[in-house]
Amino acid sequence: MKAQKSVTAGSLESSDVLITITPLAETRVEYVIDSIVIKQFGARIRKVTEEMAVAANISAARIHVQDRGALECTLRARLETALERSVAC
Amino acid sequence: MSEAGFGFEARELRTKAELSERTALLVSRGLTVPEGAGFVLGLYQGERLVATGALVRNVLQGIAVDSGFEGEGAAAAIVSSLIKRAIERDIEQLFLFTTNEEAARFRNLGFSLIAGVPRGAALLEWGSEGIEDYLKALRDVARGKPERAGAVVVNCNPFTLGHRALIEYAASHSPWLYVLVVEEDRSLFPFEVRFKLIREGVADLTNVTVIAGGLYIISSATFPTYFIRPDREEAAQKAIRMHAALDLATFRARIAPALGVAWRFVGTEPFCGTTSVYNETMQLVLPATGTAEATAWGLEAEVPPVEVAEIPRFEIDGEAVSASKVRELIRAGRLAEVERLVPPSTWKWLCGAEAAPVLEKIRHSDSRH
Repeated sequence: MKAQKSVTAGSLESSDVLITITPLAETRVEYVIDSIVIKQFGARIRKVTEEMAVAANISAARIHVQDRGALECTLRARLETALERSVAC
Repeated sequence: MSEAGFGFEARELRTKAELSERTALLVSRGLTVPEGAGFVLGLYQGERLVATGALVRNVLQGIAVDSGFEGEGAAAAIVSSLIKRAIERDIEQLFLFTTNEEAARFRNLGFSLIAGVPRGAALLEWGSEGIEDYLKALRDVARGKPERAGAVVVNCNPFTLGHRALIEYAASHSPWLYVLVVEEDRSLFPFEVRFKLIREGVADLTNVTVIAGGLYIISSATFPTYFIRPDREEAAQKAIRMHAALDLATFRARIAPALGVAWRFVGTEPFCGTTSVYNETMQLVLPATGTAEATAWGLEAEVPPVEVAEIPRFEIDGEAVSASKVRELIRAGRLAEVERLVPPSTWKWLCGAEAAPVLEKIRHSDSRH
C-alpha cells in the first residue's frame, strides 16, 4: 500500500514522539529517525518502526520519527495511528 | 486530554479579543507581532492564554510562552500543534525564525539550524527534506565546472538590459557564472516567466548556468522583509538588516561552498531602500575574514570568504536601467518606451498574448515587486 497523504501522530512534548508520514512517488519506504536518546535506543526505534511499517503493508512512504524519549508502547501506538491515517482515504 | 497535551487546550485565535490577548503575550516576551495573515493558534489553560504561535505560509512565527508556564512543555505543545496544521495543509517543509539565543530550544524540538547570527536572528527548518537535499542538487549542477566561480542573485522582474549588463560583466570576469533566480512567487512577473526570460536573455553566454534559487535564497523564509513594503521606521530597518545578514550568512556558509563560488556580483541599487541595505550588509558578511569578524556573523572561521564586486548600474542616456523603471513605465501606460530598456527576448514576450494579464496586473498595482 502507498501512503495516500501527509499525516502526523503524536507530539514533540517530552516523553512523546511525533510521527510524520508523507507519500513517496517511488515504491520504497524511507526512514528518518531522530531521537534525544539515539545512542541508547536509536537501533531499537528503527527496528520497531520498520517492523510496524512492514506489518501495515506500506510500500511507498517516507516515515519521519522524532522521538522525545517515548516509551516503546507510546512509539507503537503513535506509529499505528499514523500508519492507519496515511492509508485511509 | 486535549490534542495539545494534558491540561492545555489548543484553539485557533480569531476574534479581536483573542488576538489582542495574543499581542499582549507577545509584547510581554519582548516580541513584535509578526506581519502577514495566517493561522494563529493559542494554547489555553482554562481561560488563560499561556502560549501562542502562528503559521504564515510555510513559516512558524510569533511563538511565545507566558513566563509563568515556561518549562511545562507549552512550547513543545504549540509547535506540535502547528506542525500538525501544516501537514494537514500539505506543507511539509517548515521554517522558523527566532533569536539566535532561543535557537537551541527549538533544536531540541527537532528543528535544524540553517544559519544564526549572534545577538541577531536564527533560521531553523523542520521536515524530512531540507537544505542538505538542496545543497546536494547544487553540487550536482556544479560537478565538472570550474572552481572559484562567480554568482549573481537576481529577481529580474522582468529581465532588462541592466541585468544583461551585470551578467555579461560577471561572466567575463569569472571562469563560470551561476545566475540564481529568486523563486518566491510574489513578484508581478511570475517565476516561470522571469526564469524563461533570463535563460533566453543569456543564451549566448557559454559559461553561464541559470538556477532556481529555491527556498534558501531571498525567500520568505530567509528574508521575509524583502517581500513587505519598506518602512522608514527604525525597527523595520533593523529587521531588514537582521534578515539580510541571515540570508547572506546562509549564502556564504552553505550555498557558495556547494557551488564553488568565490565571487558574488551585484549591481548598485539607486532606487530600492531594502536592496541597498542588503548590498551594504553583503559587503560586511560575505568577505569577512579573521576569526572575530567571521564569528560575529555566526560563521565558522574556516568558511571561505566570498568576494563582493559591486558594479555600477547600466545606464541609457544617463538614467539607470532597472526593472522597477520598466514596471513604472508600464504602469504609466508608456509601454512603447520599455523597448529600449530590455533585450529583444523580453520585448517580444511583453508584446505577446501571454503578457496581457501580467501587464494588466501591473497597471492596477502599487506593489514594490
